[in-house]
Amino acid sequence: MMRRLLPAIAAVALMAAGAARAESTITVAMTADDLPITTGVPDQGFEGYRFVGLSLYDALTSWDLSKSDKAAALVPGLATSWSIDPANNKRWIFKLREGVKFHDGCAFTADDVVWNLQRYTDKTVPQFETFQFALARPYLTSYASAEKIDAYTVAIETKTPDSLFPYPLSLIPMISKCRAEAVKYDWNAYANQPSGTGPYRFAKSVPHERMEFVPNTEYWDVARRPKQDRLVLVPMPEASTRVAALLSGQVNFIEAPPPDSMARLKSAGMSVLTNTYPHNWAYQLNFVSGPFTDVRVRRAANYAINRPDVKEMLNGLMEEGYSTIPPSTPFFGNPVLYKFDAAKATALLKEANCYPCNITLAISTSGSGQMQPLPMNELVKSQLEAVGFKVNFEVMDWNALLDVGRGGPDKFPKIHGIKISRAAMDPFYALIRHVARSQWSPAGGNWGHYEDPVVEKLVSDISAEFDEGKRLALIKGLNERMNDQAVMIWVAHDVNPRALSPKLKGFVQAQSWFQDLTPITVSP
Amino acid sequence: MSTTVAGMPDSNLWPTETTQETQVRGYWGSVLRRLGRDKATLIFGLVLLLIVGVAVFAPLVAPFDPYKESIAGRLKPFGWRGHLLGTDELGRDLLTRLIYGARSSLLTGTVPVLIATIIGGSLGVIAGFGGRRVNTVIMRTMDVFYAFPSVLLAVAISGAMGGGMLNGMIALSMVFTPAMCRIAETTTSQVRSLDFIEAARATGAGTFMIIRHHVLGNVLGPVFIYASSLVSVSILLGSGLSFLGLGVKPPEADWGLMLSTVRQSLYVNPIICALPGAAIFITSVCFNLVSDGIRGAMDVRL
Amino acid sequence: MFGIILRRLVYAIPIALGVSVVCFSLVYLAPGDPLQTILPADATADTIALIKHEYGFDRPIPVQFLLWLWHVVQGDFGVSIATRRPVTAEVLGSLANTVMLTSFAIPLSFVIGYTMGAIAGCFPGTWLDRVVTGSAVMGVSLPNYWVGIVLVIIFSVELMVLPATGMGLKGSAAFSIFDWNDAKFLILPVITLSLVPVGILARSTRAAVAEVRGQDFVITLRAKGLGEFAIIRHVLKNAMPPVLAVMGLQFGYLMGGSILVETVFTWPGSGFLLSKAIINRDIPVLQGAILMLAMVFVAANLVVDLLQAAIDPRIRRT
Repeated sequence: MMRRLLPAIAAVALMAAGAARAESTITVAMTADDLPITTGVPDQGFEGYRFVGLSLYDALTSWDLSKSDKAAALVPGLATSWSIDPANNKRWIFKLREGVKFHDGCAFTADDVVWNLQRYTDKTVPQFETFQFALARPYLTSYASAEKIDAYTVAIETKTPDSLFPYPLSLIPMISKCRAEAVKYDWNAYANQPSGTGPYRFAKSVPHERMEFVPNTEYWDVARRPKQDRLVLVPMPEASTRVAALLSGQVNFIEAPPPDSMARLKSAGMSVLTNTYPHNWAYQLNFVSGPFTDVRVRRAANYAINRPDVKEMLNGLMEEGYSTIPPSTPFFGNPVLYKFDAAKATALLKEANCYPCNITLAISTSGSGQMQPLPMNELVKSQLEAVGFKVNFEVMDWNALLDVGRGGPDKFPKIHGIKISRAAMDPFYALIRHVARSQWSPAGGNWGHYEDPVVEKLVSDISAEFDEGKRLALIKGLNERMNDQAVMIWVAHDVNPRALSPKLKGFVQAQSWFQDLTPITVSP
Repeated sequence: MSTTVAGMPDSNLWPTETTQETQVRGYWGSVLRRLGRDKATLIFGLVLLLIVGVAVFAPLVAPFDPYKESIAGRLKPFGWRGHLLGTDELGRDLLTRLIYGARSSLLTGTVPVLIATIIGGSLGVIAGFGGRRVNTVIMRTMDVFYAFPSVLLAVAISGAMGGGMLNGMIALSMVFTPAMCRIAETTTSQVRSLDFIEAARATGAGTFMIIRHHVLGNVLGPVFIYASSLVSVSILLGSGLSFLGLGVKPPEADWGLMLSTVRQSLYVNPIICALPGAAIFITSVCFNLVSDGIRGAMDVRL
Repeated sequence: MFGIILRRLVYAIPIALGVSVVCFSLVYLAPGDPLQTILPADATADTIALIKHEYGFDRPIPVQFLLWLWHVVQGDFGVSIATRRPVTAEVLGSLANTVMLTSFAIPLSFVIGYTMGAIAGCFPGTWLDRVVTGSAVMGVSLPNYWVGIVLVIIFSVELMVLPATGMGLKGSAAFSIFDWNDAKFLILPVITLSLVPVGILARSTRAAVAEVRGQDFVITLRAKGLGEFAIIRHVLKNAMPPVLAVMGLQFGYLMGGSILVETVFTWPGSGFLLSKAIINRDIPVLQGAILMLAMVFVAANLVVDLLQAAIDPRIRRT
């Protein structure tokens, strides 16, 4: 009798012990309107990377997200080091990390790197997926081919010399070849059992509603093994809904609470975090037709913006934007800054013979990284009009605006500026793609077809300069040139507000689009 | 949200108009007398007139410029520096915005109904008076649109066309047209078989004459009443579209849009979130009650 | 009876065909590229062409329609552009969540609406009648999404007694109405969704009761010396069928018409799916969702029609 009873008692005791230590969960309310995909490169913009892509996967290069007081730097990821082939400046050699295992137990080797790069680029291989190709395409524009040298060394060739190539590689997740083969390249099946090398393993998901991750207890970077039991992601595009969900305890981590909710959140004991990061809220301009072809008008517009006022409207939740990148960026340099000066703005407009100066700007009512688009655009409009502009807004939904963004000035000659926030993480994404001739829309991010021989020279020098110090000086020069030419109307840098329940401890907000949730502990 | 779309005229016909002028006057006289006794309808009618008046004369009535922003004066409470109802998330005067918002709400309430009445009504009369084949083509086409719940159809059409006030109105017109068409068709078919039409035909009146003189007179009543009951549905649907971002675009003032933009400021000044909703509600109640009152006075059953 | 069913069913076929044409053409009203949401901001022309081909958007529109219809008839609505899950699964899953809402909202509004309407109809002209009629008008005049916001402010943000958004702590897949922790997510959306049907049902009940009270058999019953209470019972029983018909139609309306309420509460139902599909220009989902919802509506109408014909032989006409 007793012999049969004992195990039962033990089981009950065990269960009681288990219940005593409740599972600690971070539940994140994302701004995305749907769950990001899990098959490699995520959709839903950089938020998809932040919570899904870089949780499940690693890339060859990575970002140091452990500090909040300086800009995140590129650090080794699945590659421990990389260098340019001394004999060929189009050939990179990557040394890979040894002993790394995918969530499914398979080892990570050079074969996986070659296999993954083919998956994103080569239409002829069985692992090719059109959708992933489209998502990865912007990051692999200079990629030409990859080749295994030994089990832990890979050579990657670029089409042209590209000294910045390691940066976009941080956005190319390495997925498990074993798992993809096990599901016979059925990516819908793979999506429900993704396997990477990242700090979190996929647990389950309810389409459109929630996705759950559990810690990868064997993560190669011991310091980054998650300190909570579960990470839950919930898409919640409505800002006020996110606030209500945090206040009512449904979630304990929300992205981008609206500025007007700050007082309420703080009074409820929530911790509100902000930090500068490479985000740029600015108008890209039309350099083909209209008033902004004249540099004086562009400068006038920049002088017209009273950024402290904009900041006040957002309850301080922004950094004043005077350049494409915030000053904390390593390659900021020493550019000319157009501080608010209404008289100078008016004088410049008169000098340019554009007074009143009629302009049409395309804006959206919402969208990724747009902050508070309507109030901010309205305020900018009134500031521009105060110095002699006449602003006409074309208000459209986010997708229509992206369409204008892709179409460029040839397709939309009557639009003189567009308000699409762009990520500004590395020198190429922050600067080059906005001004280089090769990036003219629809091929790239140079929406307004800016063309400048000085910039072209700088860009080709930067790409061919593999000495980091010399390259940094050139990049600073590029930023200074862009400011001198006033290539955008700069208004703000977002400060990425997020609000956390007081029970969450240990979060360090990095100066980056990406964040590391692994050190967070949750007290009951 | 669709209150009476399911309603259909039944055998109780609209009092048959005859060619005798005196009888016509007698009918309208009694309608007016009945309306005069209906205090509730009169009161709500007055409120409605007030709303319409304020909307029409918005530039004269409104205390401030509806687009004038003030960063220092955002989300202020009632009575702050002459802002009777406070200010919105951009520091614009809320009362002024509400007054201007009445314009777009009344427009989205009436224009689609008017368009639907004209198009649907004409199609209905044609279907009712035309041959069997014409009738089948028109009415079966209408049945297809009837197969969509009204909210769904409105959202689908305006969503597909990319939103905006004009697209929203087109969508709402398409939503109401089939119902108007059915009402007109049913009434026309019923009138058509009545004796006096036969008599008119016998005296040699042409089809057009008959439609103009006899059919229209009989069809307009039920159509008018049905249309009046649709106005509040149209206001609710229209503001719903704006709330979803598929209707009026900023910075225009519109109650549905105001509701969706001030939602972000819920935690600072909850009352400003309540006001646009209340405005929609009051206007819609007024239209419903006045429509009910007129229907009662005209003694028409739909 | 069988003949009627058959006739109505046959009659529904051309409507269904027409509905599918409308659904298909609706989305081609859309400006811009149907694939633009999934294209990265800097997508190049060859990327766009490749993806268009992959989704079949490079074919002529009539061909696309016939292909689509052919698949739809087989129950295949294609694949969502945004999630690449089968549209059928997407729509059916969300439809089930909407049914969860409506199957609570409709009975609730029937009980309340019928009671209100019965009271008003039995005491016409009294203050009770006026109060009930007045509230019914208010019910149908309320922008219900606004009521939803107000309820969230009161019960979720201020009192913190009910959740503000979503469907259960573990998502709709694990939702259980028998677990209070999940069931409480239903309360605010159901109340919000019930307001309009309550008003409509109260109004139609009042009208039905008033009509039945005027009928000959009531006078006969009264002449027979039946008590007022017994008469009311008879009246209410006889007023039920038309009100039930209205209720059936309301069910169909709410299935497609809950989009605003679902948006306010982020309820993962069909309306929410639809609004997301509109924002994302997810054409296959848009087409499939609208078509299926319209079909549910047509089916609801059909069922109501047939039930009425079964109950009341006078309706058995073509």
